[in-house]
Amino acid sequence: MPETSILSDDFVRELINVGEVDILVGVPTYNDGATVGQVVQAVRAGLLQYFPRERAVIINADGGSRDGTQDLVRAASISDLSVAPDIRALRTLHSISTRYEGGPASGIALRTILAAADLLQARACAMVAPDSPTLEPNWIERLLRPLLRDGRDLVLPVYRRHKFEGLLIRNLVYPMTRSIYKCSVREPYPADFAFSGTLGSRFLAQDIWTQDQGRYGTELWLTLSAIVERCKVTQSFLGTKTRSESGPADLVKAMRESAGVLFGSLEANFAAWSSPREPLEAPCVACEPTVSLEHSRLNRKRLYQMFAFGVSELEPVFLSILSSPTHEALKRLAKLPEERFSYPEELWVRTVYEFAAAYHKAVIGRDHIVQALVPLFRGRAFTFLTENRDASADQVEANIESLCQAFEQQKPYLLEVWNGRK
Amino acid sequence: MPAQDGLWYKDAIIYQVHVRAFYDSTGDGNGDFRGLAQRLDYLQDLGINAIWLMPFFPSPLRDDGYDISDYRSVNPTYGTLDDFKVFLDAAHQHGIRVIIEMVLNHTSDQHPWFQESRSSRDNPRRDWYVWSDTDTKYKGTRIIFLDTELSNWAWDPVSKQYYWHRFFSHQPDLNYDNPQVREEMWDVMRFWLNMGVDGFRLDAVPYLVEREGTNCENLAETHSMLKELRARLDKEFPGRMLLAEANQWPADLLPYFGNGDEFHMAFHFPLMPRMFMGVKLEDRKPITEILKQTPQIPEPCQWCLFLRNHDELTLEMVTDMERDYMYDEYAREKAQRLNLGIRRRLAPLLDNDRRKMELMNGMLMSLPGTPIVYYGDEIGMGDNVNLGDRNGVRTPMQWSGGWNGGFSAADPETLYAPLLLNPVYGFQAINVLSQKRFDHSLLSWMKLLIRVRKSSPVLSRGSIEFLYPANHRVLAYLRKLGNETVLVVNNLSSKAQALELDLKGYRGNILIEMFGRNIFPRIGELPYLLTLGPYQFYWFRLRRI
Repeated sequence: MPETSILSDDFVRELINVGEVDILVGVPTYNDGATVGQVVQAVRAGLLQYFPRERAVIINADGGSRDGTQDLVRAASISDLSVAPDIRALRTLHSISTRYEGGPASGIALRTILAAADLLQARACAMVAPDSPTLEPNWIERLLRPLLRDGRDLVLPVYRRHKFEGLLIRNLVYPMTRSIYKCSVREPYPADFAFSGTLGSRFLAQDIWTQDQGRYGTELWLTLSAIVERCKVTQSFLGTKTRSESGPADLVKAMRESAGVLFGSLEANFAAWSSPREPLEAPCVACEPTVSLEHSRLNRKRLYQMFAFGVSELEPVFLSILSSPTHEALKRLAKLPEERFSYPEELWVRTVYEFAAAYHKAVIGRDHIVQALVPLFRGRAFTFLTENRDASADQVEANIESLCQAFEQQKPYLLEVWNGRK
Repeated sequence: MPAQDGLWYKDAIIYQVHVRAFYDSTGDGNGDFRGLAQRLDYLQDLGINAIWLMPFFPSPLRDDGYDISDYRSVNPTYGTLDDFKVFLDAAHQHGIRVIIEMVLNHTSDQHPWFQESRSSRDNPRRDWYVWSDTDTKYKGTRIIFLDTELSNWAWDPVSKQYYWHRFFSHQPDLNYDNPQVREEMWDVMRFWLNMGVDGFRLDAVPYLVEREGTNCENLAETHSMLKELRARLDKEFPGRMLLAEANQWPADLLPYFGNGDEFHMAFHFPLMPRMFMGVKLEDRKPITEILKQTPQIPEPCQWCLFLRNHDELTLEMVTDMERDYMYDEYAREKAQRLNLGIRRRLAPLLDNDRRKMELMNGMLMSLPGTPIVYYGDEIGMGDNVNLGDRNGVRTPMQWSGGWNGGFSAADPETLYAPLLLNPVYGFQAINVLSQKRFDHSLLSWMKLLIRVRKSSPVLSRGSIEFLYPANHRVLAYLRKLGNETVLVVNNLSSKAQALELDLKGYRGNILIEMFGRNIFPRIGELPYLLTLGPYQFYWFRLRRI
């Protein structure tokens, strides 16, 4: 039976009309009608301002929106049929949209866009989040220029974020990626990033698309693959990153997409991270301070309560995952009153490494392992918020750096538990 | 030549040639009218049916003849008035009409009229030119030759006043507010019309009249004067033609057609650079956009289309962004740039790519308008930017690989301009004789193209309707005249393309490819699928059988 194509016939027909391009900008969406119009307008402005001569296309892979998202993307087209008098463009700019099957799933969207980029022989591809109201036209330039001008393979973003945003990235994904893979990239799980056509095609050819990392957290997997392959990675400062208000974040889902993928990558790339390697440089272009200090409210008390509750409720699970000393230490922590509670970084690092080893050994269902990390992360997040409540931007940076060093120093412990009984 | 059809210019294929550059019959190193007459067989065989001659009048030749010092004679270098008459008769016998250049706007500063005018402020011809005590009048007027001129005024040390010039300072503008000037210039035109010339290409017509507070271009007084000329032409010489050189935007060109009572034809300047842009961008947008901005012109009128001519590829009628792009893509070397343009010939501009040359000529012959082929472009001649000004695109015609490229028996050192010698474009590589030997040479292909173009009036007189297929690399349009319809599909891309055309309105027709006359599938309910190779184009005649 022939393999089903991931690209619909109508989409292929549209790609034929687009033809070979120099630049492809991908926009994965799902019910992003409130923001995506502004995003694609900014993308278009960036293309016209910074790359007026390049053949470019904006491609939207949509997971089944019912709010007019696709029409908003298509409206960004520039052709001889739809001439806006205020737009000065040398050439046609297609802005096309396709709905993929099996969505919404960011990995399928990325795969759809990678397949289109491969067919169109795009030299450089940028992916932008559809819910970034702060996206400016110069983001397009900062993402794509290192690929086109400097021959880089992967451009990862650096944002200015509030000190209490991106807690999972700052407390787990960034420091662990840095220590394990020896590459210091601030946003290994990027929402806005860019890659060369060559890297995109190689990634598309990977055999991951029927696995979990081919559906969620795929962007992180791409980053880690590029680092393992020792591609030329660059970081580009984009600006302030905020997300549109879309309800409370689903922490279990976020943990699955980040820690789950990161743990999964350790197994696939064991040879790469378990032996000595030179660090991989990832220079940052036009970098600026990344921490901003605007007022932000977070419910710390609830974090504390959920940690304590989780330690108690999930004891049978933790018995399978954690070593006795670590487990005992967590139980002692859970008994501390809120005002004295602190989840030290060494213990946090040991916890994470033991979870990674347990994931490798699949001591219980892997998804359960990842989910069980959620309440513990809440405890760590509580501590991060407490430690940095009155901290300056430099102090926050210093604390993050300290955590990274803790991850690096304890890397031998990961190797120790990787093959040990626990 | 009998004016059997007053609209002959619509069906014309014009060949632009400088008599000095075409063929030297006397061996003095300069082309001449006798030489041109000897080569009429070649032009007839090529298929063209009109010649546009660049200025051949007596001139100090400081602007290649556009600085005329006597309007009623022939530059002795090119022969005599009798030689011209012999040539004119021979051209007509070959079925070729002759359009000559008429520079109305200015004369040479060596012209006796100007010499008289400058001799004293009281001279009767003083008012034949535009004089001023200051150089501050008409401040809003742009300078055209930016590379050489700092002002439109030049100081005359003889009569101690400034005179007005829109071009080089040695080309003083005539004063068309003076009725004597208007009468004299009509008399000049009548002189040549009586001899039998079929039309005039009127040079630099937007600039004839000056008025304070304007940009001194396209003024109502200029149009009024031109209409007066046209009325006289129609009355005394029906069937003769006026072609306007007005490098303007399409909307500004419309008044030059009047109500069909001013010019018969005008060059479509803004289209030309956009054809080059479209091919380089591999995108039809620049072409369709400018043609959408092109207004309908009166029924008896026609656009004149060209790819290259004796001047630089002008970039006056493009935006700054487009100009930068054109410079970067077509004139990377500074020496290739002149004024606001690019001084290169067709073949070098197109990287000597035969497919691109065919495509561009295919569009030239199928878009609405009368096409002009610049001499030498039919064989793919090159250029020499080192010759200064625009002389690099005015080198001798390359007839053969022999002595002086078959152009002249003179010593090579005495030629008016050196022949191209380089291994790619030199006369030993590119010449008429060698291309005549092969059916698939560029020359042979151009003959075929012209023959097919002339096979139906639909391409010369028909309307145009763009099709806008979703594939923007393809430019497709229908030309229609009466019951006849021709479909033209051009692939502007260097890669093969697939496209679907919405031809529902022509369901049931079969397509007949006009060059090979092969039949393509009948148009049905579904979009019509076509594939095109790199830079390929098709002309299809639609037939309901």
